[in-house]
Amino acid sequence: MQFFLNGLPIGAIYSLVALGYSLIYAASGVLNWSQGDMVMLGAYVGFTVFFFLKLGFISALFLAIVVVALLGALVQYMILRPLREREAPPINVVIATLGVAIICRNLALGIWGPDPQILPSPVSSRPLSLAGVSVTPQDILVLSVGITLMLILHSFLKNTREGKALRAVAQDRYAAQLVGIDPERSDAVAFAASAGIGAAAGILIAPIFFVTFNMGASIGLKGFVAAVIGGLGTIPGAIAGGFFLGVVESLAGGLISSGYRDAITFSLLIVVLWLKPSGLFLRKNRQKV
Amino acid sequence: MKSIMSRRRGLAAFLLLLIGYHFTPYFVTNLYHLHILNLAGIYTLVVLGLNILSGYTGQVSMGQAGFFAIGTYVSALLMMNWSIPFWSASAMATVMAGLFGAVIGIPAMKLSGPYLVLATVGFGEIVRLVLLNWTPVTKGAAGLVGIPLPTVLGFVVTTEKHFFYLILASLLVGVFIALRIADSKIGRTYRAVCEDELAAEAMGVNINRYKISAFIISAMFAGFAGSLFGSFSGVTSPDNFTFDESVGFLCMSVIGGNRSIVGAVIGAFGLTAVSEALRVIQGFRLVIYGSILVFTVIFMPKGIIGLFRWICGNFSVKEID
Repeated sequence: MQFFLNGLPIGAIYSLVALGYSLIYAASGVLNWSQGDMVMLGAYVGFTVFFFLKLGFISALFLAIVVVALLGALVQYMILRPLREREAPPINVVIATLGVAIICRNLALGIWGPDPQILPSPVSSRPLSLAGVSVTPQDILVLSVGITLMLILHSFLKNTREGKALRAVAQDRYAAQLVGIDPERSDAVAFAASAGIGAAAGILIAPIFFVTFNMGASIGLKGFVAAVIGGLGTIPGAIAGGFFLGVVESLAGGLISSGYRDAITFSLLIVVLWLKPSGLFLRKNRQKV
Repeated sequence: MKSIMSRRRGLAAFLLLLIGYHFTPYFVTNLYHLHILNLAGIYTLVVLGLNILSGYTGQVSMGQAGFFAIGTYVSALLMMNWSIPFWSASAMATVMAGLFGAVIGIPAMKLSGPYLVLATVGFGEIVRLVLLNWTPVTKGAAGLVGIPLPTVLGFVVTTEKHFFYLILASLLVGVFIALRIADSKIGRTYRAVCEDELAAEAMGVNINRYKISAFIISAMFAGFAGSLFGSFSGVTSPDNFTFDESVGFLCMSVIGGNRSIVGAVIGAFGLTAVSEALRVIQGFRLVIYGSILVFTVIFMPKGIIGLFRWICGNFSVKEID
């Protein structure tokens, strides 16, 4: 039970990162390998705002989301649009986003240096005992902010003009174009939203883990695994996949072996891919976004 | 007609380059530079296999470091624990990597696109994590130290220069085998599968068998390269086989031109050279490296070899076709 609960906050983080993969994949069919580095940049921007501009945790969160979201839109316009115009094969798109990841990682290394930084938590990390299990206020903060962000994203997609356009593009790019939607713009919205929620995830884990220039690699990979386990390109799938992965990891680490934890996760992934490539939590009719 | 002519011309150019390359140790006297060239040669063997897989059958692997690692550890452990000579150990390592290629090829035949990429990433990570945690055998994070040197006909390969010729010879055999595969019935079938799976199947091609065989071939190339790498370095640890290493192989493959065998050579040597040349800049070296990757895939979609072909196509005799 304790291990199950421990998996939930990290699961929420994985969900946020997975949402980023799925949004972009649904809108433009691109597999964005720089998603994890948006998480890292979010954490660093938040760290800078907090310590150098001396603003509070909430404003750090907002500024980080805005800055990194703009960067996401920039990546779409500068790099992915030219690739699409040239009808580049998918493998070239993969290499381009990997290139973006390398650029981000090493810019961060150049700017903030190689030493791990830590962002203090706005709440205490002393565990509270609730009905026989212990939770930290930080865990509760991660979970509540994470779920709030998911709800905001949901209402953005359902209720706003941009959100509706994005869903239309995800469903049928050409038909959307016919009714006057600019798919490149929707892609940019998807990139910005993904980068923004990635940045938020970065701020949320910054007080738990150290902030380092290469933290994006592992968190990005885990988010991708979560997105695929849940069903790539779907919002509920990404959320379910994230929580599922968080809990499985926690159980595998706690009950089987902490050294082999990630190996167990990846083996599970390959089995899932083999038996049910459309994801664990979806029935036959897959609906995007 | 044109393709045969340009192919012959390409082969002639390649042989000329090779003869020139053969004399490299006489003017590259800096041992570090020679070391880098040797590494690039070993990487080329991995990329050759990757090009057969991704360029010819369209299956993308981001887990080649896993096969490379299996090659390194299997041959090193065989030599160290049972004093098996290099060539037998290397052969067994190659076969072992091929077996793992079949193991990952079986789930892979059902997958494509992002799902296949993720399955191969998962495989590479599993291999690395097992090497890291299976301490009694692999010595964990400390890795293996004192991997024996290879012998060729009773002659022990010791210096960078010796290794240069050993790796050059292996590379020649590797390129020859890869060209043979690409030109054979198998290679043509691969391309048919890549172009249109359904049409190939309708022509009676057993797609699954070909897809698995491509994985086995690419894994064997990586496994053999790994066994060379182990003896060449003398030491190895799981850190040599991270996800970034697999990404590096894929970049070499795509930047060189993944639908060509010569492209593998160009990509591996080119990217290694660029990455070394950028060392002068220190700080933001990898930022520029990343920018080069992005720039290349946007402006040279078929890799460097594609650019060569485009130039040759514009300036050579056009009346042939």
